[in-house]
Amino acid sequence: MYRRIWVLVLCVTILSILAACTAPVPPTTAPTQAAAQPTAAPAAGSGKLTVLCTPQEDWCVALTKAFQAETGIETNYVRLSSGEAVARLRAGKDNPEFDVWFGGPMDGYEVAKAEGLVEPYVSPNAAVIKDSIKDKDGYWTGIYVGAFGFCSNKDVLASLGLDVPNSWDDLLDPKLKGQIAMAHPATSGTAFTAFWTVVTLNGGDIDKAFEYFKKLNNNILQYTKTGSAPGPMAGRGEIAIALIFSHDCVKFQKEGMTSLVTSFPAEGTGYEVGGVGIVKGAKNIDAAKKWVDWVLTAKVQEIAATVKSFQLPTNPDAAVPPEAVKLDTLKLVNYDFVASAAAKKGITERFDAEIAPAPKE
Amino acid sequence: MATISLKRRLGEFRRIGSDWTLLVGLLVVVLFLGVAIIYPLSKMLGVSFTAESFAYYVRYFSSPVYQGIMWNTIQLGLVVGLFGTALGFLFAYVQVRVDVPFKKFMNLMALMPIISPPFAVATAAIVLFGRGGLITYRLFGIRYNLYGFTGLTIVLTLSLFTVAYMNLQGMLRALDPSLDEAATNLGASKWHVFRTITLPMLIPGIASSFLLLFVEAIADLANPLVLGGDFTVLASRVYIAISGEYDIFAGSVLSVILLVPSLTVFIVQRYWVSRKSVISVTGKPAGKPTMITNPIVRWGLFALTMFFSLLILLIYGTVFVGAFTELFGINYTPTLRHFEFVVLGLGSQAMMDTTKMSLIATPIAGVLGMLIAWLVVRKHFTGRSLIDFISMLGIALPGTVLGIGYLLAFNKPADIGSITLLPPLAGGTAIAGGTIALILAYVVRSVPAGVRAGVASLQQIDPSIEEASISLGADNATTFRKVTLPLIRPAFLTGLVYSFARSMTSLSAVIFLSTPYAKIMTAQILNEVDAGRFGNAFAYCDILIIMVLIVIGILYFVVGTTTGVERDFGVSL
Repeated sequence: MYRRIWVLVLCVTILSILAACTAPVPPTTAPTQAAAQPTAAPAAGSGKLTVLCTPQEDWCVALTKAFQAETGIETNYVRLSSGEAVARLRAGKDNPEFDVWFGGPMDGYEVAKAEGLVEPYVSPNAAVIKDSIKDKDGYWTGIYVGAFGFCSNKDVLASLGLDVPNSWDDLLDPKLKGQIAMAHPATSGTAFTAFWTVVTLNGGDIDKAFEYFKKLNNNILQYTKTGSAPGPMAGRGEIAIALIFSHDCVKFQKEGMTSLVTSFPAEGTGYEVGGVGIVKGAKNIDAAKKWVDWVLTAKVQEIAATVKSFQLPTNPDAAVPPEAVKLDTLKLVNYDFVASAAAKKGITERFDAEIAPAPKE
Repeated sequence: MATISLKRRLGEFRRIGSDWTLLVGLLVVVLFLGVAIIYPLSKMLGVSFTAESFAYYVRYFSSPVYQGIMWNTIQLGLVVGLFGTALGFLFAYVQVRVDVPFKKFMNLMALMPIISPPFAVATAAIVLFGRGGLITYRLFGIRYNLYGFTGLTIVLTLSLFTVAYMNLQGMLRALDPSLDEAATNLGASKWHVFRTITLPMLIPGIASSFLLLFVEAIADLANPLVLGGDFTVLASRVYIAISGEYDIFAGSVLSVILLVPSLTVFIVQRYWVSRKSVISVTGKPAGKPTMITNPIVRWGLFALTMFFSLLILLIYGTVFVGAFTELFGINYTPTLRHFEFVVLGLGSQAMMDTTKMSLIATPIAGVLGMLIAWLVVRKHFTGRSLIDFISMLGIALPGTVLGIGYLLAFNKPADIGSITLLPPLAGGTAIAGGTIALILAYVVRSVPAGVRAGVASLQQIDPSIEEASISLGADNATTFRKVTLPLIRPAFLTGLVYSFARSMTSLSAVIFLSTPYAKIMTAQILNEVDAGRFGNAFAYCDILIIMVLIVIGILYFVVGTTTGVERDFGVSL
């Protein structure tokens, strides 16, 4: 009888070996090979690339897939929101597991630069990018630009008897209690952009911004982990207004959440410059540089629109998708990425201590 | 005195030394428990008791907000414990004492949560009963806010009550019906019998179910992340502290604060309540239990149980259908695009990695569980009960606490002076891409179920059978292999089944440990749920459930036997 147990142990062992060896190579990122021979994965210069990817997951998939097909470099990624990405880089500072960080607002890159988590690389392809949206030493280079906005479900707003919000103060309407969602600024760059926009509108007074978000907290249903997450909540009619980047709102509209409408605060709105930067101590530095060069090309920036990511490309030669929100039609705040990065840790910690867990009044 | 006890100790060591199976078994178990539980736990405790962390304690205990969070956590544990036990009792009572149709179906529904990934219930609940929900809004026009305490209570009760159900069902079956018969013969009504005999006899079972549910509810991470709303609990604070800021001090201090109630309650459950059992196991219960005959009670209980069974069916039905639907709640066009996304896209690696690691962890956990059970029940040595206790920590510790311990212990090499005892095991740059720490975490989380099954099974096997084998000339190893092992085979299988299901569905203990080379399916599901791509999340859940069922099927095929688990899952296979 005990024989059957050995047969079982044998079978399981064989199964796991088989699973490891014969797993089909998925077309995306060929990750199984990395997993099957994981000891080889961290080896230096092994013609592999590990991307820390912050935009929406489908964009990460499309890019890593295309990069691998074009260069033959085995490309793997992990998607983490901006705040999580910095935390993860911080955790692995002595022995980084990633080679390059792609996407997410500039503030995060400035924090990473200040903490010595990214290293400079001036790509030859960065010459065409405007100076205002890249770091002069190449710690980061802008790859897309997008404006922050209000993403509302018009049906829910109608049932509450409210119009589409056009001002930051509109969000404080008591009728909107539990009807707004935003991400947590500690994990999400989107939410931090919202916070810093309010700081800028208050002449740089951080305390005043906290007062505003404390009031807004009464109307917040939930602080999500990912910046764009409130969008589908609004799309499904669980909340009236999602505070997210406007291009994400357009994306969800195009994906079938037809009740969504985008609007912008009249006082002024913030924006993000999504960046790319090489992780300090990257094990596959050549592949990482190749990635940076590659994502700055017009052709690659046009991939975004194919997965319904309608940010504005930074390469002037890249076609601007008709769905993109044009920044020149908006009133933008004067967003100071360096100042915001310097204040970021203090703000997220204070937000986390004072606002996010606080009960509603 | 001292010399006598010293002599005894020395004698014990000699005995252990001469019994090589005991020696090897003990070494393996002690090494495993030391590396996989004690070391990470002590690392975490070390960080939480430093000068830096002291300020965090002061801050948390003086802040009304954090006092609120602590109270929220306890409150959630109490309420889920209460409702979960009540629901488990209802299902168990109907199963054992009421003669109604569809019992197999009800049993299956009660067991669904074992093989279900976290998020399945929460996500389906949002699309069914949320503000834009199919039932609440589309059917009844109510915009019901599911986020927060109420929603969490409902979802956690439905996901956790299985523990109480299985516990109480076992106890109800073991109750001696002759007591009921005696009372009835003396003229007591059914209600009187229930109130004065059945219920008091079950009090220890009810109490221990309540306490186990309390421990599980306060440790839960998945549901508060998705459904918490403004109701914040400690587990999700630990998660934000680590994933949002990588603040190991905040994470460790909050872990300790979470650890205190869960460990206290676990110890109370384990060493006090479960020892209070008044049920005398005298082998098979004499006669059949008397069934409820009063039609109002009978059909009332049936309706109530059926209601919850159908609710569970509706929830898992939604998980299933939602995966094939364009946008559940808005657009019901059938589609395969979610499966395409999961199977051909980013999900394939997570699926492969998780399954592989679970398949490796399962036999290890199964064998270790039986080994520990055997040592604890059959062998006599100092520290026996300590080994039992430490092995149980794998489930008593909240997953996030274990996860932080692993992060702190295994992200760097373990050194004593300049000698490296252990290379880094966790993180993308560790050997094997961090898979070793993950497998270790899976094993730790799975071993307790195997140990409990093994202990229960061994206690029912008379040691004289083994003694007979030894006196006939077989050595310890042969006896274990040829006599003990076949007898505990059903328990071994139970351990394997739970290990695999548990590994595939665990989240909180492993979420900090996933690396680019070792992705975890449940963490991917969290990403999909959090990003609002429910269709993909449902597709993941479907695939995960099917894979768990397939592996359970293979296990039965290979080890094939009659155990409780087979009865339970047999229907579904």
